[in-house]
Amino acid sequence: MTAARLGHENLGLGVGLRTVHFGHILDRQPEVDWFEIISENFMDSRGRPRYVLEQIAERYPVVMHGVSLSIGSGDPLNFDYLARLKRLADAIKPRWISDHLCWTGVLGLNSHDLLPVPLNEETLAHVVNRIRDVQDFLERPLVLENPSSYVTFASSTMSEWEFLSRMAEAADCGLLLDVNNVYVSSVNHDFDPVEYIERVPHERVVQCHLAGHTDCQTHLIDTHDSHVIDPVWELYRRAHALTGGVSTLLEWDAQIPEFPVVHAEVLKARQYMTPDAAAPLPVRRPVAALDERRNATDATPHPLHLVGREVQ
Amino acid sequence: MPDESQSLAQIQRWMQAVIMHPDGVLHGADSAEARQHLDVAGQIEHVIAASQQMNGEERLAIYGRAYYARLLECMRSVFPCVDKTVGDEAFDDLALGYLQQYPSRSYTLDQLGREFPQYLEETRPDRDEQGRPTESWPDFLIELARLEWAIGEVFDGPGVEAAPLVSAEDLRAIPAERWPHARLVCAPCLRLLSLRFPLNDYYTALRDEEEPELPAPAETHLALSRRDWIVRRHALTRPQYELLSALLAGEPLSAAIQRAADASEDLEELALELQRWFREWTAAGFFVGVGSNE
Repeated sequence: MTAARLGHENLGLGVGLRTVHFGHILDRQPEVDWFEIISENFMDSRGRPRYVLEQIAERYPVVMHGVSLSIGSGDPLNFDYLARLKRLADAIKPRWISDHLCWTGVLGLNSHDLLPVPLNEETLAHVVNRIRDVQDFLERPLVLENPSSYVTFASSTMSEWEFLSRMAEAADCGLLLDVNNVYVSSVNHDFDPVEYIERVPHERVVQCHLAGHTDCQTHLIDTHDSHVIDPVWELYRRAHALTGGVSTLLEWDAQIPEFPVVHAEVLKARQYMTPDAAAPLPVRRPVAALDERRNATDATPHPLHLVGREVQ
Repeated sequence: MPDESQSLAQIQRWMQAVIMHPDGVLHGADSAEARQHLDVAGQIEHVIAASQQMNGEERLAIYGRAYYARLLECMRSVFPCVDKTVGDEAFDDLALGYLQQYPSRSYTLDQLGREFPQYLEETRPDRDEQGRPTESWPDFLIELARLEWAIGEVFDGPGVEAAPLVSAEDLRAIPAERWPHARLVCAPCLRLLSLRFPLNDYYTALRDEEEPELPAPAETHLALSRRDWIVRRHALTRPQYELLSALLAGEPLSAAIQRAADASEDLEELALELQRWFREWTAAGFFVGVGSNE
């Protein structure tokens, strides 16, 4: 019997730490339950980002979330990267370390994108072996997130929730259930997001992510540039009920508003922590009424993470 | 039916070649690079399934557009002054060429622009038949790119925020007989640049939202350092640059001052200036220790 959340505490409602909020957080020390950092932005830093992180890690629970593990890549694992990741973890003592079920590149290259994997037996065996190697190296369980994706493969033989369930069981790892990503991918790949939320192994869900996205009519793009939409909140309501409540974090990565706006957004989650028989189904609203802020070629999918330089 | 004859390695190498192709995924799928991994040219849906709304090519193109859009945005934020100098369109052309020549091999976007100055040098369009540069403006752009890269390194590299600094009083306390042999240990964030253009003033003008003309060549010198986590620029005269370069190279004070004297026209003035220089430099946190070779 697997313990709920792999035994991790429910940290409450957190916010993804972003450079533009450094000053506000240090000065005001807002009452946020926890912060999630992008590991790569801090692992080599010997400047302000690292200094700010150390201050924040003293006051708040911190989770390390990476974008370059590339667990699904055919390339060998990058043990130099893993060693840096581990050194950062030793220094700031995160509650857990997460990354994505994806690959970022092969043949030594990094696209800096979270590219989806074909969902079949070959990939499953490959990913499970690598998760075990990473967990042995980091000496802790890994937590992996379902990415938003824009393609599916002709060679896929199973659903994403089935892949994640078997992966988590075989590798004994945790899951980061990104509810917005489930929704984005469900529209892009024509599957039922409720079935997905219902079928993932709830006891292995350590954390949830929430974010906004952009509707490009024929597809959705995971831009992290706006508020969480109602259908995603309704999916979150179901995820909350099924998991019994897990650490929940809001990501806002483009057109980032003032910190209080971002914080207020994640606090809305409290309204979705009770079952509501009258709640609407998490279905997409008519596209024309939705998002005309951007056209399809304008929207850049998450992630873009670069720390801005400060110079006088 | 799923096509299980395509291995994970083949699919990933194919997909990477296709989405990184600068002319779009159709050209990418037609490229020799992609076809050596999976030869499905024109039939992207042999690898990428269609959705109800989009075909495989349209879906894959999302990744192709995102790849360049994301990395161009990153390049613009690392080299904002180069971008402002040449304009967005020309900058994107330069950066696109760069990303094809030097695609990222690092786990961090922080390293993305590392070879950009070198790329600008390698691809400067003004070489004559013997390969010699004939114009000065490419030199200007290359230097500007080097400056912006150096600023990034100083911003996130080791600094002196937590280190005890050498003060002007510490220097005055050094006995006169020890002065010639004393060695000042420079801050790890101190970087010295000898430039062929007046880049510091140009940088300031751009930062202040002005639209400066490209300056004429003129030798200038600049120190970069960091105080309170912010990169600071300090314009230097040539004697100052020579003196600090010698200290940075580990030479004792006497030798370093001699280097400044060699570069000075007025030795009496130098003697008067030295004290002021060291007062400014200690206040700016340039030195973290005093050693000696005695």
